[in-house]
Amino acid sequence: MTSLSIVGFVGLSTALLAISTFGILTRRNFILLLISIEIGMNAAILDFLYFAAFPTGSHYFDGLQGQSIAIVLIGLAATEVAVGLAIVLALNRLKGSINVAEASSLRE
Amino acid sequence: MSLEELAFLVLALVAVATAVLALFVRELVHTILWIGVFFVDLAAIYFLIDAPFLGVLQLGVYAGAVTILLLFGIMVTRKRIFSREAITGIGALPTALAVAMFVFLALVVGEFPGSEQPVAAYSVTDLSRALFSTFGVYLLLLGLVMLGALAGAIYLVREGRE
Repeated sequence: MTSLSIVGFVGLSTALLAISTFGILTRRNFILLLISIEIGMNAAILDFLYFAAFPTGSHYFDGLQGQSIAIVLIGLAATEVAVGLAIVLALNRLKGSINVAEASSLRE
Repeated sequence: MSLEELAFLVLALVAVATAVLALFVRELVHTILWIGVFFVDLAAIYFLIDAPFLGVLQLGVYAGAVTILLLFGIMVTRKRIFSREAITGIGALPTALAVAMFVFLALVVGEFPGSEQPVAAYSVTDLSRALFSTFGVYLLLLGLVMLGALAGAIYLVREGRE
């Protein structure tokens, strides 16, 4: 049983989301983009787990539902990394580099 | 300040610091190492808020599988593993956007009632029962998404593709 304040948790996940946004906007290496997305996913998972931990549940879901959603999110993040890695390999084969600035053949 | 609050404060600081370091170090391999520390640190936070099963999942899936997958991605796409990245300029606009988003969300957080209620712990038995009965549809959907995504991944990397 813990009694940690909501401001610390949501503040932490907000900070992580801001870092993730910054990374997505500035980084041009595909792997760094994947890492930024993972940081953002972890911020979301942290929020779900914290709101699941309220004794009455949050307004929208109860505790077990929040933890179930967190499990699904972890699975989704792992899947996303697998697909991202496949894109990295395909990009590397096609362009010889994993810089996303060069992956612009759809852009005319 | 209780011991738990102190622990959370330290863990939160480490989480933010490692996330920032992961994006700002020049060597890509060091980035992966910092992000590994970040994942382990978040697992410790999950243990702190009484979600032990999620902590174990975080250690296994994130700190284990995702980190190794990212390292593998670096390994197969580079001639020399340790080579420095070109510095990406810290643009004014992305920084401003990130800071603005943080400020906006922090203001919204300030509107929440500051609650000090105790946090409920859920046993792994309850969680697994709920996951395989009440919320079984989540697992089914996750399975479908994974199936489609992995089929797509195999399609992307197969040999002889134009």
